[in-house]
Amino acid sequence: MGTAKNAGKTTTFNALRNVAARRGIVVAVTSIGRDGEPSDALDGEPKPRIRLPAGTLVALPAGLIPRTPALAILDSGGATALGPMVFARIVLATTCEIGGPPTASAMRTTIARLLALGDGPVLVDGAIDRVASLAGGDDAIVVATGAASGASVAAVAAAAAGTVARLRLPGRDPSSERERVVTIEGALDVRDAQELLAHAAGATVVVSDPTRIAVRGALFETLRAVVDLRCERPLRIVACTTSPVGRGITLPARALVQAVAAATGLPAFDVVSGLAGGTVRAAASRPA
Amino acid sequence: MTADAYAAQRIGLDWLRAAVAPVGAFGWRHDEAIAPYGPGDEEPARAEIATCVALAKRLPAEAVERLRSALRAVPEPMPIVVRARAGDPLADVDFYELGRFGDALDVLARRWDEAGGSPEGRPPVLERLRNLLAAGRDGTGFYLADAFGADLPAARGALRAADEQLDRRRLAAAERVGNILGVEPSGEEFVVMRDVFDGALPPELHVVRETPAYRVAAFTFERDERERAFARVATAEETARRELASRVVGEYDAIVAATRALGALDRLLARIAFAQRWGGCVPAFTAGRLAFRDGVFAPLAALLAERGRRYTPIGLELTGVAVLTGPNMGGKSAALATAGFLCACVSLGVPPAARDAELPLLERVMWVGGDASPPARLLSSYADEIVRGRDALAAASPRTLVLIDEFARTTGPREGRALLIALLEALRARGALALAATHFDGVAETAGAAHLRIAGLPGTTFATLDARDLEGALDAINAAMDYRIVEASAGSGASDALALAELLGLDAEVVARARAVHRRGAGSTPEPP
Repeated sequence: MGTAKNAGKTTTFNALRNVAARRGIVVAVTSIGRDGEPSDALDGEPKPRIRLPAGTLVALPAGLIPRTPALAILDSGGATALGPMVFARIVLATTCEIGGPPTASAMRTTIARLLALGDGPVLVDGAIDRVASLAGGDDAIVVATGAASGASVAAVAAAAAGTVARLRLPGRDPSSERERVVTIEGALDVRDAQELLAHAAGATVVVSDPTRIAVRGALFETLRAVVDLRCERPLRIVACTTSPVGRGITLPARALVQAVAAATGLPAFDVVSGLAGGTVRAAASRPA
Repeated sequence: MTADAYAAQRIGLDWLRAAVAPVGAFGWRHDEAIAPYGPGDEEPARAEIATCVALAKRLPAEAVERLRSALRAVPEPMPIVVRARAGDPLADVDFYELGRFGDALDVLARRWDEAGGSPEGRPPVLERLRNLLAAGRDGTGFYLADAFGADLPAARGALRAADEQLDRRRLAAAERVGNILGVEPSGEEFVVMRDVFDGALPPELHVVRETPAYRVAAFTFERDERERAFARVATAEETARRELASRVVGEYDAIVAATRALGALDRLLARIAFAQRWGGCVPAFTAGRLAFRDGVFAPLAALLAERGRRYTPIGLELTGVAVLTGPNMGGKSAALATAGFLCACVSLGVPPAARDAELPLLERVMWVGGDASPPARLLSSYADEIVRGRDALAAASPRTLVLIDEFARTTGPREGRALLIALLEALRARGALALAATHFDGVAETAGAAHLRIAGLPGTTFATLDARDLEGALDAINAAMDYRIVEASAGSGASDALALAELLGLDAEVVARARAVHRRGAGSTPEPP
């Protein structure tokens, strides 16, 4: 998932696929997208198309299936604005646009079906507002960040740290739960934060998943310091990628990858230049 | 048979329609095309009901549910074949769906056989359609396999070879370029940071876009051969799809016939399931007469079952116009509803929920009385009843059933009684079938109508119950009440109202005072308490 548009999400996605291909791992791919209204349409840029080698499993709406070369259709499922979701295997390598189901529950179903149909991992080209579908599972999330989300290395690193801190919100732990537990239904917004700061200091505050945290920056940090902020279904963020190139701006690649690794505490990679920052081994551990 | 919204609700017609609703789109289309049975349709109605009853006895209930479940899973092929027939190109997903349709028919037919269904009623199997698609089917999926087009194997082989050649060239170039640039090119395009390499790019690369900090590069390959191979595959695949689609169109009539058969099967299975749940008989069709034994007003029986209470089936014989009297809570309204419900059953081709029955196929059922209007209403209860009575008279004929539930109970009893008598006389004159529940005395005799009565609570003495134990009181009433409908003798119109009021917890002194007043007779002045 990306922290901003043009943060290098699809580049990261393609890098993962390339690594899998080099290792002979057949992957399944799908996308968490807005059906019929890809975010790329905001600036008129076409949605990135990806090349899928033979054997790849793919889940995409019927309306995005290329006519040539033909895919082997394996199954069909829930509805999207572009027709039913179709599960298919690539027979001859092809280039196509990937779309996904419209809801978190449909995405969970789609991922489960892809796992059942194949042996390899499922790669999901994600979006931050739909990543809730992965909450509570063992799925690994890679956060793509870069010059699109800040004008300086420090700004990008700070934005990445804020995003990662929210998304790595720890799950509930009955052994350390405070005497008072406040459960927030829906999103925890600025008004909720004000109320909690005023009346719930020291309490354990629980949201359903990290994407429900709608407060940012200093207010989020203050809230985290004053209450024991938890979620029912945590996300598993394992790494960041960095893209030093933004619109009209280029940041130093090495400095960026190191700054993001330091700010987030996660291993960070520049998949284009092959740079890495942080302790790569940490990617295997699951956050508390 | 038609009924307005109020009558439909009172006789359980809405409930019945939901209870025998099809499970799939085929069934809905089929049902929408069939009008309810009316006068003159006795033969087809009887045939449909007889089939349902026979199959309800023959097929296990679990097997019927399995068949309905299989029907629910049958995908809809018609939009696909209609598009193909119009000349629109089909997609591989369409062929996949047609394959699923064929599979689903197979499953249905197998379940029919397993259930012990007869060969003549067996759901259709589209072997020719399945054979058309067989080359592309490995299990449940679909692939436009090489067998579908003469040029497909060669065209795909050429594309595969072109891709492999391109990949080899890309790999070799990537290695060369990587050594020069110090970066590993990945994908179609890749970034070359100027602080990593700022010299002239190798000749096999071209710049897609550049900034002062980086260049986006792509390999410059001769792709004509690959593009020609791709175009050849595209042509071969589209040709194969067109040919396959035209062969599917050749099966159009068979597919349409199959969907119709599925629609009919859906309707049949819904009725069989209903008969298995509620019982059902093949009625004798009559005109001007309505009779049944052990009739069940299934909506009420279902409600009672949900609450763990017992429903008592009833019997009724009605010729022309009759008056039904009896105790409160004795089931007069339910008797009216049962009569209407069983007539609704036969009009929909549903076995009437009764041990046996003589029923007419009606043009219309009307309900007069009861509380028809919502609390915020334009008409008072009385006005609403009168309007419904007016409409009933206007529509009354030997092919209508008019059910009258305590008509004019909200006006003065003497005038109300007179109005009811006059209404029944008018209905009788029009030859309508009518049943009127009332607490007014002497209506049947004066109107020249038959007099029926709920047997009620003759001589029942209830044990003392906790007045607040409503459930206990209802159980006691239910256990003591004789719900049979019997011919009434003159003057046997007791409502058991006082005994029931006491049992339901009305203040004992009030009930005692009411008894005293009642003993002295209506119109006289009772002794003060």
